Amino acid sequence: MSGVHPTGDAYRDAVAAALTDGWRFTSLHAKSDHGGPAVRTLLSSPTGHHRLETVDASPGSVPTIVDLAPAAGWDEREAHDLYGVGFDGHEPLRPLVDHDGAFARFATPVRGADPYEVAVGPIHAGVIESGHFRFHVVGDLILHVDARLFYKHRGLERAAEGLTFADGLPVVTRACAGCWVTNAVAYAHACEELLGLTPTPGLARVRTILLELERVWNTLNDIAAVCAGVGLAAGGSRFAALVDDARRLNLRLTGHRFLFSSVSVGGSGLTIDESTAKEARDSLDGIRADSSRAWRELLFNASFMDRMPDIGIVDADTARSLGVVGPAARASGVAEDVRSTSPRLAYEGFETAALHRPAGDVQARLAQRALELLPCLDILDRLLTEPVRPVEAVATLAETPIGVGRVEGPRGATSCIVERDGDVVARVRLRTGSYANWPAVAHAAATNLLPDFPLINKSFELCYACVDR
Amino acid sequence: MLTLLRDLRRLRRTIGLPAAGHAGSLALRHVDCGSCNGCEHELTLVSGPTVDMARYGLGIVASPRHADVLLVTGPVTTRMRAALVTAYEAMPEPRRVAALGDCALGDRVLGSSSEIAGRVEDLLPVDLRIPGCPPTPEAIAAALLGLIDGTAGL
Repeated sequence: MSGVHPTGDAYRDAVAAALTDGWRFTSLHAKSDHGGPAVRTLLSSPTGHHRLETVDASPGSVPTIVDLAPAAGWDEREAHDLYGVGFDGHEPLRPLVDHDGAFARFATPVRGADPYEVAVGPIHAGVIESGHFRFHVVGDLILHVDARLFYKHRGLERAAEGLTFADGLPVVTRACAGCWVTNAVAYAHACEELLGLTPTPGLARVRTILLELERVWNTLNDIAAVCAGVGLAAGGSRFAALVDDARRLNLRLTGHRFLFSSVSVGGSGLTIDESTAKEARDSLDGIRADSSRAWRELLFNASFMDRMPDIGIVDADTARSLGVVGPAARASGVAEDVRSTSPRLAYEGFETAALHRPAGDVQARLAQRALELLPCLDILDRLLTEPVRPVEAVATLAETPIGVGRVEGPRGATSCIVERDGDVVARVRLRTGSYANWPAVAHAAATNLLPDFPLINKSFELCYACVDR
Repeated sequence: MLTLLRDLRRLRRTIGLPAAGHAGSLALRHVDCGSCNGCEHELTLVSGPTVDMARYGLGIVASPRHADVLLVTGPVTTRMRAALVTAYEAMPEPRRVAALGDCALGDRVLGSSSEIAGRVEDLLPVDLRIPGCPPTPEAIAAALLGLIDGTAGL
């Protein structure tokens, strides 16, 4: 169903028609070298299908789609900064990745006598990744936030170009430790698609185990972060100890606390023997009991819970429009989870977890994390009943020039597109859940109080590293 | 709340942390210069209950003006170079620099060379090197304690 469009108008019409038919904007990237400059838009259907709409960018600019899909805003700004493509109608096309030039080009102007700016970062007061926030404030009230990230831009996508598919994996996954498995599986799926490989049930199972192990520690970490966001040291410490328990389990199972090197293209070399799998299930039972107990304590802590409702609201329409993904989207009532449409992974019978009160505020995002932890532990309990042995993907399909992987990570849907030039990577684009959700953080903060920003920010708990790449 | 506190007390006993017993303290300022967030995740756990660095006199402070040690992670991107040097210049003397993690040490750095400014020690005098990808919370705490005791490898 994908199309290559010779003119900008045809491309824009195709994207508009697809969006009307229920397809969602998923990713947009530019490429320069092989086959001439082009812009590609990835769309996905609620049933998990993908299509790419490609337009020739040799005239130097293409029509914007940001008015059709506001979620494409950052993608178009990035394509402009890194590949020099213009987007007609995207006004003002402010820099995103490019840090050269005056800050005024980046930020929204402040006018009037009362508003003032509060500048925060790139270095923050705690142990936090680097990024700059410019708050426009009247008194304590936030009018608007400009988030300027990409201080950590390492050019990883460029560095992967020209490498073999196997050698590209460590480069692409260096993007982020917190989402290592998610990014690795998305990249591996993309490479396997263009190589005509299909994961066997055994390979699907081992990757699902790794993805859920990553989700366990991240979910515990997210709850700890909200506790830290309001200064509840007892809750933060308890959940931090559970994060440590989960990482120790990762170390026992794979040799690495963040599961580094546990995923490869075309197969898996991981071995987990029967007794280790049994011990892992016991450890996960311990995490389930301890986290449930600690969560109950938080629920009955009135001064903690009173801080959560009605702040940092992202309603369902806004979440859809901005392309919010993951627990943050589900907390707004957008009941979508890529795990329910992932035939290359072992999520048979998966049901998206939905809150009774999907209010899209800090409380809903916190409660969504707690709600999703238990099914995640159930999946691991089911998949770890047998030992894990090395497995290979099988060649069943024709090879293709472009492959797509899309995986539900701890922060939401992550897509990876790999374009090939023979047997090497010609272009890779990694669009993580954090990348999708940062614009929503700025939206959620507006009209709230400045002292609530740390809590609102923690309720999303996004990575900077896998945005900046 | 009492259950949480009792759980934390039980946890402390189970872990059996070694006695504090180090003279002095260090105020740390962390600067992320382009890490993958792994070093930050482990550094966060150094303050957690299993290592609990506060009992050794190790603490994270909000400003480099209050810091004894600049704890630098990441391969130092070109975009973080100026912020890193500014933070160092804001520190009072005597001051120390610790390079945390393999990227900060310039070991197995991945990325485009045009985006990477170089190792921490190409920009600042490094007093303490903490290898690992990422180093564990225990390894980070042990290395910093070496700096308090004056036994850290320079």
